Amino acid sequence: MTDKVTVRVQRYRPEEDAAPWEQSFEVPYSEDLSILDALNQIKDQQDPTLSHRWSCRMAICGSCGVMVNNEPRLACKTFLRDYRDRGPVQVRALDNFPIERDLVSDISGLVEHLETVQPWLIRARESPVGEGAYLQTPEQMQRYAAFGQCINCGLCYAACPQFGRDPAFLGPGALALAQRYNLDSRDEGAAQRMQWLNADVGVWSCTFVGYCSEVCPKDVDPAAAINRGKVASDLNYAVNLFNILRGKDNA
Amino acid sequence: MRRSHEPIAWSLFGAGGMLLAFFGPGLVLTTALLPWLAAGDPQAAHAAIGALLAHPLGKVLVLACIALPLFHTLHRIYHGLHDLHLQAPRLPMQLLCYGGATLLSAISAWWLLLV
Amino acid sequence: MRKPYVQRQRADWWLRNPAYRRYMLREATALPLLLYALLLMSGLYQFTRGEAAFLAWLALLRSPWLLALHGLALAAAQYHAVTWIALVPKILVIDSDRLRVSPATVQRVHQLGAVTCNAGLLVLALLLLRAAGGY
Repeated sequence: MTDKVTVRVQRYRPEEDAAPWEQSFEVPYSEDLSILDALNQIKDQQDPTLSHRWSCRMAICGSCGVMVNNEPRLACKTFLRDYRDRGPVQVRALDNFPIERDLVSDISGLVEHLETVQPWLIRARESPVGEGAYLQTPEQMQRYAAFGQCINCGLCYAACPQFGRDPAFLGPGALALAQRYNLDSRDEGAAQRMQWLNADVGVWSCTFVGYCSEVCPKDVDPAAAINRGKVASDLNYAVNLFNILRGKDNA
Repeated sequence: MRRSHEPIAWSLFGAGGMLLAFFGPGLVLTTALLPWLAAGDPQAAHAAIGALLAHPLGKVLVLACIALPLFHTLHRIYHGLHDLHLQAPRLPMQLLCYGGATLLSAISAWWLLLV
Repeated sequence: MRKPYVQRQRADWWLRNPAYRRYMLREATALPLLLYALLLMSGLYQFTRGEAAFLAWLALLRSPWLLALHGLALAAAQYHAVTWIALVPKILVIDSDRLRVSPATVQRVHQLGAVTCNAGLLVLALLLLRAAGGY
């Protein structure tokens, strides 16, 4: 006799449903069963109409983010064995994003915010390709390396109540990415990104809840990135104080 | 993108938070025990506090202990009410919280000058 | 046909996750600490009105309500201090070519500093009042 676990999956079919609802499925249990395996079992064996996103199965592509018992998690990196004897497991679409269908979120807001902070090396003068790569010591790389591990899965946005309150907030992922480039010794674009950090929708919407860093599957620590951004924005304000008071602030 | 003026509020919030972390518990415990510590000779305790408040450095320290916690706590309350979905326009709430902290700090500074 | 379901944040969002409840508790430390700052202000005001008024304020501090406020403010100040210093290493990063201090050290220094300053303030107040009272 095989052991079974109950998985309560959120459903939302835009053609028929006015609001999301919940459907229970029984899935054969094994020690190495991930939430993603369970969802695939349901889709393949029980209900082919279930929609969910996934690709790599190894916490690199960042497409299988869902809420598992109200916590943002990667479905591939979350195992049912950790939820044994705690009742049925509930799987929902990520918080704070519009739900496209079932477990599929519309993350276009996140993608726009990522583009806003210009996450690429900005140089005052690009050197010709023939001159080779821009060099950097291991110590210089270490200063931003953690902030560069982001896989754009959106878990930090699902964890952020300030993004939930106001989707215009650039949010943890984009601001960590801005910091990743601002701290890169090869980059000269900090001044351009600063106007976004300085804005109300930039670092100043953050109240350091810190949950974004707790849920990040790649240990990026976006809360630390944003709050170091606050220090940078604070200094930038002080440096420009004279112009701000004169009403001639163009930084 | 328009620049936020939050840095002013955040700097004062941060200074108040640092002060409360480093001296808050000690200060609260001191004033909690004050009536008993001063019970032996209340007049002498009054004179000792008077000496503290008469010294310019004492005035600055006492003002810091009042004004910075005011800015710190009212900054948290301002954002906390927004978190709780309080339906109130931004500007009056800012005037109430940061204006209130400024006003109360100015009054305290005035009282310190009177001593 | 696209018809995305927009999830709106509920006003009680912070009740639904222990991490959010801890955050709200941290922010709520501001309430007793604000009342405490106002209590300090009232003491300063009574001092400006003369010795009798100040001694009456001192006697008032023995009332159960103000003792309760002190107890609440003490708990709030301690919770604030612990949560505040836990976040300091994330903001204060000392990592230049000339000087590098690990986040763990930054945290330790702040913890030690806070304990020393708080205990020092209390001891200083005790000594001063003892010297003043002559006992």
